[in-house]
Formats: sequence, C-alpha cells, structure tokens
Amino acid sequence: MTQYLITCRSLTQAQRTARLLEKHGINAAVTKIPQELSQRGCTYAVSLRRKFEEAVTILRKNDLLNGKLYVRSGESYTEVTV
Amino acid sequence: MIYLDNAATTLVKPASVERSFVQAMRTMASPGRGGHEPAMRAAETVLDCRMEAAELFNAPEPEQIVFTMNATHALNIAIRSLIRRGERVVVSGFEHNAVTRTLQACGARVCVAGRRLFDPADTIEAFQKALPDADFAICTHVSNVFGYALPIYEIADLCREHGVPLIVDASQSAGILTVDVQRLGAAFTAMPGHKALFGPQGTGILICGETGEPLLHGGSGSESILQEMPAFLPDRHEAGTQNVCGIAGLLAGIRFVKEKGTEAILSHERRLLADARRELTGCGLQLFTGSEQTQCGVLSLRSERHDCEWIAQRLAERGICVRSGLHCAPTAHESAGTLQSGTVRLSFSPFVTAEQVKGACAALREIADQA
Repeated sequence: MTQYLITCRSLTQAQRTARLLEKHGINAAVTKIPQELSQRGCTYAVSLRRKFEEAVTILRKNDLLNGKLYVRSGESYTEVTV
Repeated sequence: MIYLDNAATTLVKPASVERSFVQAMRTMASPGRGGHEPAMRAAETVLDCRMEAAELFNAPEPEQIVFTMNATHALNIAIRSLIRRGERVVVSGFEHNAVTRTLQACGARVCVAGRRLFDPADTIEAFQKALPDADFAICTHVSNVFGYALPIYEIADLCREHGVPLIVDASQSAGILTVDVQRLGAAFTAMPGHKALFGPQGTGILICGETGEPLLHGGSGSESILQEMPAFLPDRHEAGTQNVCGIAGLLAGIRFVKEKGTEAILSHERRLLADARRELTGCGLQLFTGSEQTQCGVLSLRSERHDCEWIAQRLAERGICVRSGLHCAPTAHESAGTLQSGTVRLSFSPFVTAEQVKGACAALREIADQA
C-alpha cells in the first residue's frame, strides 16, 4: 500500500498535525523520517496511507503545512506537490 | 501540620499529580529522542500539557508554551532575550530577585515605578510617567510578599501605547487570577509550575510572544545537523532532556485548576485571607492588607516586639509552616518599608481550610503575646 509522508519542522508540529488529521477521520502517525530525506537531521513527519490530498487541504487551511510531501514506493521516496 | 507557605511552593497537591508523576517515571522516556513507544508516550504527555496550558492562558499556539525549570529560569530566558547593557527597564516596586538580580547581571538601568502598596492608581501613574523613556518594562502580576494584585492589564495597555515590550512575572497569579496572554500582549510571560498550578518542583512555563534568544544550548531532538539552536518554538528554548515526570505532574495540576476554576480558587483564598485578618486584628501584629480586589491569598505581618524569624521558628515548632525574612524580594520590602524587619508571610491554597487558618492565627496571637 502507498505510504505518504508530510515532514514537519518539529516534533510538536508533527504531533499537532497528526492530531488534527485524526480529528478529521484520517489515520495519521508521527514518525521519524529516513536520514536520506532529512536535510537538517532529526526530523519528524506524519505518515498516512490514504486521503493524502484531503489531509494536505486540511493542513493548509490550518496553517500547519510547512514541510515537504513524499510518496513512498518500495524503498524509495519521491517528493510530490499537491 | 498546617502548611501556609504556598507562595513558595504548594506542598499539598491533587492526588492526580503524584499519580501522573509516578506513572511517567515508570513508562515515559525522552520525547523527541526516538520514535519508540516510551518516547512517543512522553511526547504525547508533553504536548497535552502544552495544549492545556495554552488554553488556560489563552496562548494562540501550543508551541508558544516553553517548559522551564521554574519561573526564575523562564524570566532569565525572557530578560536575556531582550535586554542589553545600558538599556532602561521600568519595573514595579514589587519585583522578585529573579527579575532584579537578572537585570543587574545584564547591566540594565533599572527604574522602579510605583512603590505604594495596594494602590493600583499609584502603580498605573508611576508606569505612565516612566514608560516614555523606557526600553522595556517588567511587572509582577502579584507581589510574592504582600499578595498585592497589580493592575497588570492597565500596565500592559500603557506599554502597548508607548511601544515598550513587556515581560510579565505571573509567579503568584498563574492558577489564581486570569492570566490572558493575548490580552496582555506581553513579549514573555513567566510562571512556575510548582505553585498554584500544582506541578512538582522543577517545573515552570515561559509563554513566548516572541521567539527570543536561547539561554541554554544543546540537543533539542530537531535539526540536529545544525550547530545553532532551532529558530522555532518551543525547541529553541528546550535544550536537553526535559523534566517529563514533572511535566506529567504539571499536566494533572493544570487540569485540576481548570476543573476547579480560578475564580473559585481565588475566592476561597480571599475568604481565608479575610478570616486571618479578622482573627489577627488587635493582637499587636502589624498586618499588611489592602482592599479585597487588590490582595490575593497572601498575608504579610510583623511585630514590634519580636523578630520575624523568631515568630516563624515558634510557629514551626508548633507544626505551622510559614515563610519569614525578605522572601527574595528586597525591592518589595523597600517599597513597603519592611526592608530592615522583614515580615512573616502566610500564604494560602485551595487545600488550606478555615480551621487551619484559625489554628495558625490562635498560635500567632499566643506567640505575639509572649514577652
């Protein structure tokens, strides 16, 4: 199954992001991102399996989207824009 | 034991505080340091506490809530963030050494505004006069020595009018009076977690209206490749492993305050203050009291016949815990004319009963009568 990652600038923001998405019925989990994606080291992200575009819209509306968006296929990640 | 030293730290806490503290010790690791369950559980608790605090103090975003060791630590971050050598800082006549010593260490030029106890009009007028030449202002919300509730919102309005950034010391008001940081519009608001928010000792909060400059540098669990502290809150001010057990306890304390309501807490403490005032009037002690609106649940007193330390010691021998001396606030004592004598301070909490106050006052009357 496809996995989406929304990177966040801090753990606090990742947690708030996940909580907001859960509130909107979107399953989301806070996770550390792979080192290859982490330009500044130790970055958190929110991982989800579905409703990616809806999630991005909700986060934009709530001013919580300031990281990058990735889609994982196999072991590789591709940055995407929505 | 009758514990009346709540302005220093609340000793009697809600049972949920201890339970949460112990549970955190057993189950929580370091937040922001790993993706494993104990670390994430800790992170959830820390975020819960940020969110509860943000709601209680009307902070727009939970990121503005920075956890510190105590109010002194929070005030040091605030003062060191803003104030440089030679800058002119207006402070009230009732500040704690956490403010005045830090300003001294910064080399700030300090102007004390408003020395009259329980006189909000005088305090406002003094700030009004001093602010036009000021670079910054710092004001305590409630005097830790006398319980004087300063007109903080009026002072905040004046600071805004004059474009002077304000730091608020809410050490004695958080959990008792309304502390609305949006209404205050302060650059920083500092408070302890271990007083009227009922957290364990070793907890404090700095509510940031500005990003500020870090006082401590170290690991934040974010942007680890960079050699500067992160530019964003709260990570900018939270270097090193956090006091997760303390924050878990603080979370329970804040929930207790929200459930009980600050108005109910304040009116209980004011009732105890009125009881103490009535019980102690006419027994040869000088009581420092104002009108009901200008005084919270703190009562300072002194005797012409006995040293305040002697009185406090006699009370301690009877199991009554009060604080005597200068209460780390010589500026406040200078304002009230008690710098030489000091005072004995009784300070209340929701866990103090009318019977306990009656018992303490009976003991004080006896002690005051002793030759």
